[in-house]
Amino acid sequence: MAESNRRKAPEGEYVPKADDDLLICRCEEVSQGDIRRALHQGLRTMNEIKRETRLGMGLCQGQTCTRIARAFIARELGVAPGEVGLPTPRTPARPVPMTVIARDGIMDEAAGEGI
Amino acid sequence: MRRVELAVVGAGPAGLSAAIEAARHGVEVVVFDENQRPGGQLFKQIHKFFGSKEHRARERGFRIGEDLLKEARELNVTVELETVVSGIYDGLELVVTKNDRVEHLRANAVVIATGASENMIPFPGWTLPGVIGAGAAQTMCNLHGVKPGKNILMVGSGNVGVVVGLQLIQAGCSLEAVIDASPRVGGYGVHAAKIARTGVPFHLRHTIKEVYGKDRVEGAVIVEVDEKWQPVPGSEKDLKVDTVCMAVGLSPMYQLSKIAGCETVEDPSRGGVVPICDEYGATTVPGIYVAGDVSGIEEASSAMIGGKIAGASAALKQGYLAQDVFEERYAAFRKSLEQLRQGQFGHGMKGKKITHTQEGIEVSESLLCRGFVDESEILRFPGIPSEEIRMRGLTPVIECTQNIPCDPCREACVKGCIRIGESITDLPSLSKEVQCTGCGMCVAACPGQAIFLLNQNYSDGEALVVLPYEFQPLPEAGDEGTACDRSGNPVGKAKVLKVQKAKTMDGTAVLSMIVPRELAMTARFFRPSGSEERRA
Repeated sequence: MAESNRRKAPEGEYVPKADDDLLICRCEEVSQGDIRRALHQGLRTMNEIKRETRLGMGLCQGQTCTRIARAFIARELGVAPGEVGLPTPRTPARPVPMTVIARDGIMDEAAGEGI
Repeated sequence: MRRVELAVVGAGPAGLSAAIEAARHGVEVVVFDENQRPGGQLFKQIHKFFGSKEHRARERGFRIGEDLLKEARELNVTVELETVVSGIYDGLELVVTKNDRVEHLRANAVVIATGASENMIPFPGWTLPGVIGAGAAQTMCNLHGVKPGKNILMVGSGNVGVVVGLQLIQAGCSLEAVIDASPRVGGYGVHAAKIARTGVPFHLRHTIKEVYGKDRVEGAVIVEVDEKWQPVPGSEKDLKVDTVCMAVGLSPMYQLSKIAGCETVEDPSRGGVVPICDEYGATTVPGIYVAGDVSGIEEASSAMIGGKIAGASAALKQGYLAQDVFEERYAAFRKSLEQLRQGQFGHGMKGKKITHTQEGIEVSESLLCRGFVDESEILRFPGIPSEEIRMRGLTPVIECTQNIPCDPCREACVKGCIRIGESITDLPSLSKEVQCTGCGMCVAACPGQAIFLLNQNYSDGEALVVLPYEFQPLPEAGDEGTACDRSGNPVGKAKVLKVQKAKTMDGTAVLSMIVPRELAMTARFFRPSGSEERRA
């Protein structure tokens, strides 16, 4: 990890900025201010910020906001976007309704198929 | 657990081509696609493609899609729609959701052809209804027959921006402007010229500052940017638009490949993060191949060839294809692909400033900065006949000024009037003895709509200009209207002599208009009288 990207203890209170309200992640309504607060807490990577703010965890699974968020975080930290890392994509790559997951296996047993 | 020989994820041009190629050699193939319809982006591509005959140039994208589907059906490829592949685990185990049911299946090989998604840029108001991706706008218009809005701003002058821009005009929308932060038009000049001559202004070095409106877009503020891409204060322009289309690039959808364990790399020349793959489409996970936009953003034509390579690789791996047969096919695919990647928009050319064509002709600055070749620049290109020839009778006037891999014009002329050199990217030129019959086939065939026919000596004081026309309602013989120049400015009166339509012209009408002789090299668009004057 680059020197500039190393964790630093937050210095003082978070000072709000004029454009804090601009949304970065539409699905989960995560704003620039939310990300700045997370950075102020000392979080640095996409995965950390995702876990703190739910950035990229909505319907589109970060398809739209990952690129924007990385660029924004990199700008805020003064580093290259590559240094911010990428969120780890996980199964399900696409939204799957909970009912489907809840029924997984049950239907197979009833139908006598088994997996 | 169900077992398949080849599972293809994505039924777009790359996925279907992979499936067809593999099935052709006997592989049992299942294609999964989350959409209701197969074909990926092909079915909304209503424009004619570039390339040569083997790339299916001058054919419209959706027809290519129809043919791919037919071919897949004939080869017994199973296409499972509304089916989501939500994960790939070790041992090529796929997690597939269909009809509210999760199924796990094992594949001997997998081709990931998940395509790409549209980029967005955040600005105040970007989440207001009315700000949409250009691809989304294209889906609305061309698949669902819904106009995305009345007055539209296109952000981005790459091929997506200029192609969708034209299609929005064809759908009856008013395209108010095309903007781009870059100082030059990013897409093919001929695509830009198609919309410039309808009167659409290009504002380069401009970005979007904000979009405003109560419940939806009511207007957009654009602002000039300086050399360092910073907004120039006081240069704001307010555009009354109800829709803003974002055509600011595509990102490969690499996520599924990463879940499957494929190593990825960040490569800006390919559009961002992509799975690492070799020239056969093989990723770092044995048995998993990638093809199409997921492996790097390119045109659909290249995606289809990439798909064939991946499909052949998957067939080879399973013993359906002998090594020597594979190598023969691969060499042909590779050659075809290299051809498409030539020219000034080809591989490795992104961001490079081009000052001269490969023939050594100075490029048109006006085309790059305003979206059309200025009349003062056009004469230096090889497709423009001399005044002597123009006065002698009908002749093609080929306003093709950039080195792109495309040659349908040569074949369209039965008289052999049009020549292209050794390389497919050479600019077309005219043979010494032009014997133009006025059939209009070259005019209709040119995917760039850059070929006109001209008789500068049609009658005493009048010239005949023949041009491609793809707007509704189609004018009729005898209609009067306005002749416009390449920037869409009205320059004089025009009268329609005839409108040629033929099946082989595939929807491109060839309109002949009579204009005053002095406008012979100026008039390049016909605006029917009564149609709204776009701009003062």
